[in-house]
Amino acid sequence: MASVAAHGLAIPVNRSHRRLNSANTTTGTSVTAASLHPLTIKSKLPTFSSSQNPKPSSLNTRDNSNIFATKQVQNVVKTSAAIGAGLYALSSGVSNVLLSGNGGGGSGGGGYGGGGGGGGDSFWSKIFSPAAIAGEEESQEWDSHGLPANIVVQLNKLSGFKKYKVSDILFFDRRRGSTVGTEDSFFEMLSLRPGGVYTKAQLQKELETLATSGMFEKVDLDAKTNPDGTVGVTISFLESTWQSADKFRCINVGLMPQSKPIEMDADMTEKEKLEYFNSQEQDYRRRIERSRPCLLPVSVQREILQLLREKGTVSARLLQKIRDKVQQWYHDNGYACAQVVNFGNLNTKEVVCEVVEGDITQMVIQFQDKLGNVCEGNTQYPVIRRELPRQLRQGKVFNIEAGKQALRNINSLALFSNIEVNPRPDEKNEGGIIVEIKLKELEQKSAEVSTEWSIVPGRGGRPTLASIQPGGTVSFEHRNLYGLNRSILGSVTTSNFLNPQDDLAFKLEYVHPYLDGVYNPRNRTLRTSCFNSRKLSPVFTGGPGVDEVPPIWVDRAGLKANITENFTRQSKFTYGLVMEEITTRDESSHISARGQRVLPSGGISADGPPTTLSETGIDRMAFLQANITRDNTKFINGTIVGERNVFQVDQGLGVGTKFPFFNRHQLTMTQFIQLKQVEEGAGKAPPPVLVLHGHYGGCVGDLPSYDAFTLGGPYSVRGYNMGEIGAARNIVELAAELRIPVRNTHVYAFAEHGNDLGTSKDVKGNPTEVYRRMGHGSSYGVGVKLGLVRAEYVVDHNSGTGAVFFRFGERF
Amino acid sequence: MASQVIREWVGFQQFPSATQSKLIELIRKLKQESASTMTILVMGKGGVGKSSTINSILGERAVAVSAFQSETPRPVMVSRSWAEFTLNMIDTPGLVEGGYVNDQALDLIKRFLLNKTIDVLLYVDRLDTYRVDNLDKQIVKAITDSFGKEIWHRGLVVLTHAQVSPPDGLSYDEFTSRRSEALSKIVRLGARIRKQEVKASSVPVVCVENSGRCNKNELDEKILPDGIAWIPNLLQTITEVVISESKGILVDKKLIEGPNPNNKGKLLIPLIAIFQYFFVVKRIQKWIKNDIARESRPSWA
Repeated sequence: MASVAAHGLAIPVNRSHRRLNSANTTTGTSVTAASLHPLTIKSKLPTFSSSQNPKPSSLNTRDNSNIFATKQVQNVVKTSAAIGAGLYALSSGVSNVLLSGNGGGGSGGGGYGGGGGGGGDSFWSKIFSPAAIAGEEESQEWDSHGLPANIVVQLNKLSGFKKYKVSDILFFDRRRGSTVGTEDSFFEMLSLRPGGVYTKAQLQKELETLATSGMFEKVDLDAKTNPDGTVGVTISFLESTWQSADKFRCINVGLMPQSKPIEMDADMTEKEKLEYFNSQEQDYRRRIERSRPCLLPVSVQREILQLLREKGTVSARLLQKIRDKVQQWYHDNGYACAQVVNFGNLNTKEVVCEVVEGDITQMVIQFQDKLGNVCEGNTQYPVIRRELPRQLRQGKVFNIEAGKQALRNINSLALFSNIEVNPRPDEKNEGGIIVEIKLKELEQKSAEVSTEWSIVPGRGGRPTLASIQPGGTVSFEHRNLYGLNRSILGSVTTSNFLNPQDDLAFKLEYVHPYLDGVYNPRNRTLRTSCFNSRKLSPVFTGGPGVDEVPPIWVDRAGLKANITENFTRQSKFTYGLVMEEITTRDESSHISARGQRVLPSGGISADGPPTTLSETGIDRMAFLQANITRDNTKFINGTIVGERNVFQVDQGLGVGTKFPFFNRHQLTMTQFIQLKQVEEGAGKAPPPVLVLHGHYGGCVGDLPSYDAFTLGGPYSVRGYNMGEIGAARNIVELAAELRIPVRNTHVYAFAEHGNDLGTSKDVKGNPTEVYRRMGHGSSYGVGVKLGLVRAEYVVDHNSGTGAVFFRFGERF
Repeated sequence: MASQVIREWVGFQQFPSATQSKLIELIRKLKQESASTMTILVMGKGGVGKSSTINSILGERAVAVSAFQSETPRPVMVSRSWAEFTLNMIDTPGLVEGGYVNDQALDLIKRFLLNKTIDVLLYVDRLDTYRVDNLDKQIVKAITDSFGKEIWHRGLVVLTHAQVSPPDGLSYDEFTSRRSEALSKIVRLGARIRKQEVKASSVPVVCVENSGRCNKNELDEKILPDGIAWIPNLLQTITEVVISESKGILVDKKLIEGPNPNNKGKLLIPLIAIFQYFFVVKRIQKWIKNDIARESRPSWA
């Protein structure tokens, strides 16, 4: 009947990494950057509700005995969280590079880098949108060139009606006089593939693309006939180069208006030309001034500068490399929307890298109904907005990690069945990003009835029909009241609906978050609840060798109101008032004022330690309860590392039966010390960890037996039963555990000690002595973790015997 | 049990006249101290001769004794009065069972003694056991825990079977003093009497011999090997203890159950609560603040 309390519920939300599609562009004046299919990740969010009120089950048949079958109400709510990250489509005809017919010969030192090859108006942007025109029309049939083998044919000499099969493609660098390997970045730009079938028009278009890309001063395409009818394509080129530079600057040009190149009149005089160049230069300088600083860190900029200095001249390939490097940094750091759009100021001493980082111009929260149509949501916007990281606000640069964080945070509200965080390009504001958050709300009200039949052993241990009892749980929940995430939930559980007074467990709870207002960053939640519980008292447990101590059940019913302030995800401070009535019962559910003990003669005498303060078996009391938890533990490769401190105090107010006035306090300190530095990452081995644990509990003032601190048990001193070591007014527990990772689990060795500090006699009736317990005890052992189960061999030092235990959950 | 019949001290007449006169003298002394009642509690291990000692003092077979088994399953009080003086003697079951202090027997004794005043405690052991061990200490400790340290101010160590031939190479006096020494030390340790207090309140040790074959002197008094008539000697010591020392021990509920631990330090609770708030809760809050400050933030935040 021991209920195992899970230390924490992990909500598994699988989030695979965003897949970056390769850029898919169409040639033309406008560039569409890569777009991403939104990924939808479904996650199951199980809500567990465990049975509160196990009934004392006595297996010997009595009129009220039954097997209480606890059924975990598994209310599996499917919450699917989706993150869709699409790279925005950047439509920009960015070009502020002056066209100068014959390449930037540097006639005017301040002249902009002129792309060679009579480029179109946006050739640079095309560099960065590697052409991927699908040459997918791979028809089976192709035409033989019909020419003698091994002759070089110029492109315009090819027949316009034939489909040529390209056997291989060569890049020939005229400047170096050699062919370029296939690993060269130029190959990325080419949509032609060896083995593909192309028409003359396609080849011409390809050449045009290359020519207008700005990478080349001059580029030609020749076909060499092969004996088998196919052609080999040779692209001979002259790479564009600019003056060497010794400065590098990176600017964010997102949201800036495009500079419109003024058409240059061919008839301009030299003076006019000079004026024109100067005005261009000034414009560009102004543009740089107006642009915002970019996020690229100095270290990366320095690396690029190094690169520039090493290479001497600035070549197209170098710029490509720089672009890759810059984009790489942005994408590695989650700025998925960042794009290098242009290089400016070429042919000066400075290379200016223009980046559109993906500034958020707007954030839209949208509710969807079940069919995916936009609808009005019940949830108030500030509730969602306060969950969003600062980085997702307007004016910030979109970051995919921030998007994921937003997704997780919103998911933790448990209000939505589907969440999508989607960046999309802002049509009205070039280079801007609109972050769309699409939410599907869960049903506000839910009710559930689960029933079960438990078969009770009748006479002779056989199940009898008469003793079949209908049991189960009725629960209801009203979530998200007023759209402010307030909720009411209630549940009633009994093992016998026909006779529920025996073991009725109920809970009614009202949760009121954002106590300080939804706009206040302070995160305090008010919880009020009405509850009852039934637990076996570990105070009335025998020591080693004591046959059987008649059990005492402690029933608590009452009201609780507390305020929880969350400081971090794990650290919090809770304080509130508890009013409860405690009833102690023996195994046949009769109220018992004193514990029973077995006399040496075998008889049972009811003159054991008093169970309650009032000595009537029923206590009522009100007290203040405060709990502060500091938890900075984190997982390193699946192993917990860090520190956890918990201090809890119950302060009696002198209100209740016998005016109980007390201060009951406990301090728990647990440290998970990482013994070796390890590399973090999926699949890497976790570090060995030393766990040190100390627990002090003490009480000054009135201490009824049910509030005494007990020693022994899987969460106290392992190797002993619950309360087997003793029950005392002040206790100390010390534990050390060494965890060594083995494969994908760990083995551990531990030693633990619990001591009553001689205060067992300060509990009224001295239950430790009455039930022949030592008051202190140590244990040591070894164990292995198998999934959720710990299998351990523990030697109990008081008796010197060892035993194997299987336990659920973590000790610390 | 309170309405126990107080019988005439018949056995008094049985004593030799020398003893009688000594006793009359002692009773007169006690009466001067306005003590018309005296309650003697006899405790010790099982079978050391507690009951026999009582019988010897009273001069009659007041409680059942047997050579081979314990005859006292629960405490018994016998009261005898003589010349408006009442002598109460409480016989108790042995405190040892199976090598351990029998808590239940002690509990039984405590309950029996409720609302009675103990004037003298006789802690009985045998003279003719040579060694003392931890168990003796445990017994003394158990008695101390039950009735408080003060009981030893009213305590006597009684060594029975005093008519013993000492081991080789030791004179009777030497043996007796060694044994008394050892037991006194045990009592001191068990009762946690500090060294400074030892002189002020050393527990007297008296030897007795309950056997019918006890040697007698010319006045027909039972004497020990060293020639002391032990009954008058014992009663004399008892009287001295009663007269010299403070009040008797009144066994009330509080004494039996010990001080109510729930009341200990109750007045300090507000101070404790304040301390906890300022030095524990605030400290942990500071730690949390440090954690937040030290938290590694993602590069974008």
